[in-house]
Amino acid sequence: MSSFAHYLDQLFFAVFPFVAMVIFFLVTIQRYRGRTFTFSSLSSQFLENEDHFWGMVPFHFGIIFVLIGHVVAFLLPAQILSWNASPIRLILLELTGMALALFTLVGLLAVIIRRVSSSKVRVVTSPSDWVLYLLLLVQVASGVYVALFHPWGSSWFAAAVVPWLWSLVKLSPNISYIAAMPFAVKLHIVNAFIVIAFFPFTRLVHILVLPNPYPWRKTQVVRWYGIRRTA
Amino acid sequence: MKEFSPLRSRRAVFFTWRKQVGLEAITSSRPRPRVMGWAMILLSFGVLHVETAMGQETEAYFRQNCMSCHTVGGGRLVGPDLKNVSKRKDQEWLIEFVTNPKGLIDAGDAYALAMKDAARGVIMPKIPGLDKAKAAALLELISRESVLEKSQFAGLHITDEPFDASDIARGRDIFTGSLPLENGGASCLSCHHVTDIGLFGGGKLGPDLTRVYERMLGRKNLASWLLSPATATMRPVFQAKPLTSDEIEGLVAYLEDVAKAGGAEDATPSLMLFLLGLAGAVLGLMLVDSIWSYRFRAVRRPLVGEIV
Repeated sequence: MSSFAHYLDQLFFAVFPFVAMVIFFLVTIQRYRGRTFTFSSLSSQFLENEDHFWGMVPFHFGIIFVLIGHVVAFLLPAQILSWNASPIRLILLELTGMALALFTLVGLLAVIIRRVSSSKVRVVTSPSDWVLYLLLLVQVASGVYVALFHPWGSSWFAAAVVPWLWSLVKLSPNISYIAAMPFAVKLHIVNAFIVIAFFPFTRLVHILVLPNPYPWRKTQVVRWYGIRRTA
Repeated sequence: MKEFSPLRSRRAVFFTWRKQVGLEAITSSRPRPRVMGWAMILLSFGVLHVETAMGQETEAYFRQNCMSCHTVGGGRLVGPDLKNVSKRKDQEWLIEFVTNPKGLIDAGDAYALAMKDAARGVIMPKIPGLDKAKAAALLELISRESVLEKSQFAGLHITDEPFDASDIARGRDIFTGSLPLENGGASCLSCHHVTDIGLFGGGKLGPDLTRVYERMLGRKNLASWLLSPATATMRPVFQAKPLTSDEIEGLVAYLEDVAKAGGAEDATPSLMLFLLGLAGAVLGLMLVDSIWSYRFRAVRRPLVGEIV
């Protein structure tokens, strides 16, 4: 491996995750204290609600379950590996993951198409929204690509990526686990940390409104606080 | 005492009061410099703890980096038996070769070229972290091990007898994970495909192993390789959770059988996986549509539609 590639690996997988986490925590806390009422999803449902359903619902349900999958594998890698010990169970898990990933991708594409095609919604879309959509598209598309072209991720994530993630948690990064991963896998990882770093500057902060009532609350009228927009 | 001025607004009075009682210092000063300080400290943790592989013991280093291709007194694998290597070439040459194997071959060194031929064209890779000091320490270790009757690096003894069906079946179970690895490693199927593995095949993070038995030039090399897998991703994973010699024997039996059955390698992604996933996603869309079939759609549009 060339020393430049080695340097990049160190930068992306041993330094950048910390930078991303520091930005995430500091800016999120600062934004919550300083501009509390900007903690909003800035829903545009009242501007357009037909296409909205086909984007919002699949994307959210898809991404929530896919993320739960990542977190469970991160917390319980040995249990995932023993689940996958039977090839039938492995296939079942991977098929579920693939279905959810495509469900998410369909939703995200619908969201982006709606943002582009609906003139009313386009007006209330900020540059940071566009950047976020691009990042999320790269993230979900690279995830589908990895699942399809480099199976079986549920197993090798638990075996080779989780130890690296825990080495980050323990503040002593060991990048040897992932230094030789294929490009798509590295892209998926680096882009994930870019999303984490960008998170507090975007509408994604609505995820942190605890206790997060979205799954069970009644429908409500959405008003925007804290930002002024002119059409 | 300050004179009263009607021009001073109540707001200005409030701010003066706030300053006097010191409230301003508490409420309006954002702790920016301190925040930046903490950020720098957290960042430097990340940088300082970047791991280097330098602190390892020489023996462990040899085991992890050299044993997949070399023995000391166990005969040739992909690379030569290193017993008494320092009697074959001088220290300076050996250190130069080990730290940059391709360099000497490119320079046309006759001995290095002969070694390449003996390894059937395989060139020793450049090992990360192997500098001149490390090379000298390794050579010293090899000299110490060379005078022993049986070195700890003599390698795995694997039978020359033909494997029977039960060995092959056991190897297949180890490969697929049905028989979990004793030390908790992930099954081969996680990352590797072999031609006779079912509908969806094996993993495709690592290379196809259908013909690995031939690539590794037989049992002995394959077994030694599995004893301490040397590729970048497998090394850290199996360093912590090595395969046992029983498992290695089973896997060698299975991979030998697969290679001799003569299947072809397959690098294409599973279309079945994609199509079934897509079907699942479509089912999901139908499901949410029916769950929220009474969702609010519009008020004005249908009214306008009725009139027009």
